[in-house]
Amino acid sequence: MTLSSVSIALTGSGGAGVMTAGQILLDAAAKAGFYGLMGRTLGPQIRGGESAALLRLATGPVDGPDDGYDILLAFDWGNIERFQDELPLNTGGLIIADPHQGAVPDIMLTGDDIRTAMVPFHDLAKPIAGGRVNMVGLGLIAALIGLDPAFLLDRVARQLAGKGEAALEASRAALAAGAAAAADIAGVSPLAAPAPRTGDRWSITGNDAAGLGAIQGGVRFCAAYPITPATDILEWLAPNLPKVGGTLVQCEDELASINMIIGSSFGGTPSLTATSGPGLALMTESLGLAVASETPVVVVNVQRGGPSTGIPTKSEQADLNIAVNGLHGDAPHVVTAPLSIGDCLFTTQWSVHLAEAMQTAVIVLSDQTLGQSRAIIDPPADLAFVGKRRVPERIEAPYERYAVTADGVSPMALPGQEGGAYTGDGLEHDPVGHPSTQTAHHQAQLDKRRRKVEGFDYGDHWAEVDGDPDADIAIVTWGSTAAPAREAMARARALGFKVRLVAVRLIHPVPVDRLRYALSGVSRVLVVEQNHDGQYWRHLRAHMDLPGTVAALHRPGPVGLRPREILARLQSQ
Amino acid sequence: MRMDTVSPMDTLEDFIAHAIALEEDSAIRFDDMADALDVHQNHEVTVLFRKMAHFSRLHLAEAQKLAEGLTLPRFKPWEYKWPQAEPPETPELDATHYLMTPHHALVMALESEKRGHAYYAGLAQSHANARIRELAQEFAEEEAEHVALLEAMMAKYPAPPADWDEDMDPPVSVD
Amino acid sequence: MDAVVAKPQSFKSDLKPVWCPGCGDFAVLSAITRTLTELGLPPREVALISGIGCSSRLPAYTSVYGFHGVHGRALPLASGLKLARPDLTVLSVGGDGDGFSIGGNHFVHACRRNVDLTYIVMDNSVYGMTKGQASPTTEADWTGSKLTPEGPGLAPFRPLEMALSSGASFIARAFSGDPLELTRQLCAAIEHRGFSFVHVLSPCVTYRPEQKGWRARVHGSFEAPTADRREAFLRLLDDDGFATGILYQGRETPFQPTAQATAPVAALGAQFAV
Repeated sequence: MTLSSVSIALTGSGGAGVMTAGQILLDAAAKAGFYGLMGRTLGPQIRGGESAALLRLATGPVDGPDDGYDILLAFDWGNIERFQDELPLNTGGLIIADPHQGAVPDIMLTGDDIRTAMVPFHDLAKPIAGGRVNMVGLGLIAALIGLDPAFLLDRVARQLAGKGEAALEASRAALAAGAAAAADIAGVSPLAAPAPRTGDRWSITGNDAAGLGAIQGGVRFCAAYPITPATDILEWLAPNLPKVGGTLVQCEDELASINMIIGSSFGGTPSLTATSGPGLALMTESLGLAVASETPVVVVNVQRGGPSTGIPTKSEQADLNIAVNGLHGDAPHVVTAPLSIGDCLFTTQWSVHLAEAMQTAVIVLSDQTLGQSRAIIDPPADLAFVGKRRVPERIEAPYERYAVTADGVSPMALPGQEGGAYTGDGLEHDPVGHPSTQTAHHQAQLDKRRRKVEGFDYGDHWAEVDGDPDADIAIVTWGSTAAPAREAMARARALGFKVRLVAVRLIHPVPVDRLRYALSGVSRVLVVEQNHDGQYWRHLRAHMDLPGTVAALHRPGPVGLRPREILARLQSQ
Repeated sequence: MRMDTVSPMDTLEDFIAHAIALEEDSAIRFDDMADALDVHQNHEVTVLFRKMAHFSRLHLAEAQKLAEGLTLPRFKPWEYKWPQAEPPETPELDATHYLMTPHHALVMALESEKRGHAYYAGLAQSHANARIRELAQEFAEEEAEHVALLEAMMAKYPAPPADWDEDMDPPVSVD
Repeated sequence: MDAVVAKPQSFKSDLKPVWCPGCGDFAVLSAITRTLTELGLPPREVALISGIGCSSRLPAYTSVYGFHGVHGRALPLASGLKLARPDLTVLSVGGDGDGFSIGGNHFVHACRRNVDLTYIVMDNSVYGMTKGQASPTTEADWTGSKLTPEGPGLAPFRPLEMALSSGASFIARAFSGDPLELTRQLCAAIEHRGFSFVHVLSPCVTYRPEQKGWRARVHGSFEAPTADRREAFLRLLDDDGFATGILYQGRETPFQPTAQATAPVAALGAQFAV
């Protein structure tokens, strides 16, 4: 028997090197033609804390984790009680542990038919000069799942580039020692052979993908203030923006970063920043300024557990409320959400396009799961979305920066343009831009700002709609929960259910007509998301009547929603 | 203050450049003050200040006429040699008030004309260049006429009661 | 420079200031327009960026590009604009509350960052737009506000010391009652390469009418600018808050990261290939 998907958790603390081992395994599998992804869970320590690399390898593309893990390899059991709930084992799952680290803790043995195998990783590594336990573990796992060790060696060599032949030799020996130890473990089915690879594959995190999407969308200025788990976007942009003639600047705080990008965008440069909940909260006043002054900006908000400092290293989808409703006054803007790790690229690029086209603020709701997980994907197709701002070609006096137009978008002069000088303003203004408290000006400007985001043609990208045309039940979801929802739908259909999935990328404004059309024919709707209060469910219901019986599946993080939870709700509704 | 840098100008061109700057600055300031009073609905004083600006521009035109055929030096704003921080006929900004009356406006204008007169009279008396002395004398006489004119007007606008600046309403919170 | 010399009035817009008649900010506005004229800058290549407060209304009163942002954030706005558009001449204006209280962190870091822009603070030691509360530069015993009836009780902030210790590369103080000296300073500030801070004592005639007395208190004791930080600090130790002139002009390199594109956008994806 072979498997089409296998899930593996590698845990260890105090510098066991599980993250490095995990990425080598993922990339080696990609080299061999597999797809896969790797998430991570980390303790609060800066170095040496407990950590786990959470892998899923498969013969076809995968967007999210399985219900549980088939193999849990524990180099040690440090602080396991803190995150054992993030490491559920599938029925018949295998725990591989080092006997010198003590017995397998009971809390790990609560699943069905859990098997254990004891492998003395530390003893196996010790006789090899420079041998490391993570390499022994890698060799073992590769042998168990049937991954050709040549692919591992290739990735290890890249990892160790510059460390000399001795280091590589040590790794080779450690991998071999691990592979030999695998012979004593029976009953693990290997992965089926993948289809032959036809081209490059990418190994990319959601945060890196968001960075690339930003640049592809035209972003050439980024103001940055570090915050977990968004910092990776900024760190990817820092060396990559200059390659295309762009600039990244580190700021003193998030108030500065949002205002710097408003300033640079006023100058005509498509601009972006990335942050997480606490930073987004600080930025909301100035996001209102971007809306009122009609200055395009993009904020990628990589959600983490909240409120307040919350759980910075773990995922949740609980910033929807502030992203949608956090601005004071009537401040129409756009909120989007990527639907997979790879989709962080498209959604960010699309969001730059939306911001520039509508001259408004766009908030992209990514999350820690998408941002800090790595996926093997097919290189994305070239996309035509490049931010393009409407700039006046010929300016006649008096130039009306905030002219009331049919679609609400007013041509925006850029500094340097003769005759276009105006003062961008957060004060309510008349069409010229002069401050005004007049009822008619306020009404007209509020109307046009709403008109441009509600009347905009978002095209087919507002959501991914999939499943049965004659479905009776539809799952409506957004962001990272699209992955388990997609898998739940596939399982339900395999069981004979007729199901449709509407995974929404455009969170706000709610695309009411498109949603209604996408849900036509169903009599039951299940809204799925990862937060305590059902934020998207409430948001949808505030804007439209969903058809038939509506149920909501929502629970907080940090453990991500699993396909089986969604499937169970589908079956019970 | 740059009192220590004040020294008589040397040439006719210098003198005329100063005369032009003096009137220009006065006109701009009166215009600014008229705008400010206009925004604050004080139309009587607005009209008076506009008039003052107009007179300054008439004198400016005269000074510019004198410059015909001459190549004037191009001074930076701070290189002019004035007896005080600003040109003598530029009214003092902080003497304006949103409730000021025509009487106050005339006092301001009078003071500026008196300063102008003193400035030209000083040059007429002491400058080494005869042509400058002659022109300065003409200008001083003109300023004296303005002073007399304003003093005559003042008779029509006696000082207001002491509570002229009383406002029953409190100031407004704006932003 | 254009063949026809622009007049300062051509830098003014047709929008009239809402400032109280007598406000020092009128003189600052006029000094700014005079400065831009003097430097021969085309209005389209100048941007004036502000936050919130009486003085922050200034950009709309000019004919250059302007941006009137939210309270306290003028400097990041201005910095972002200059960093993205180094070809522009960028000025930022505002008051003591905007710059030293709500925007205090940005002031410190803008001095440190030394982006090539000019920051003009019109300091009247009071919040005018909210009816006269104490600001960071208000005297500890000023009892004119209902919010602090016993006086703020805090020693006033010393902006020039702060600017110097934070790394500003050009520091000056002027008085709105001497707009020609202010114009001189502004010309020098704009021509200086780096972050220029010009502190302008600009009286509030409504809430601090006693500031009319500033005319008698200001004195030009800063004399010639120094490039020696020790000397500048010594001068500030003797400063009574009314010394005017250009205090310090250093030679620190302005912060302006610029990059020439070395790769097509399409090439960036290659780093992810596996």
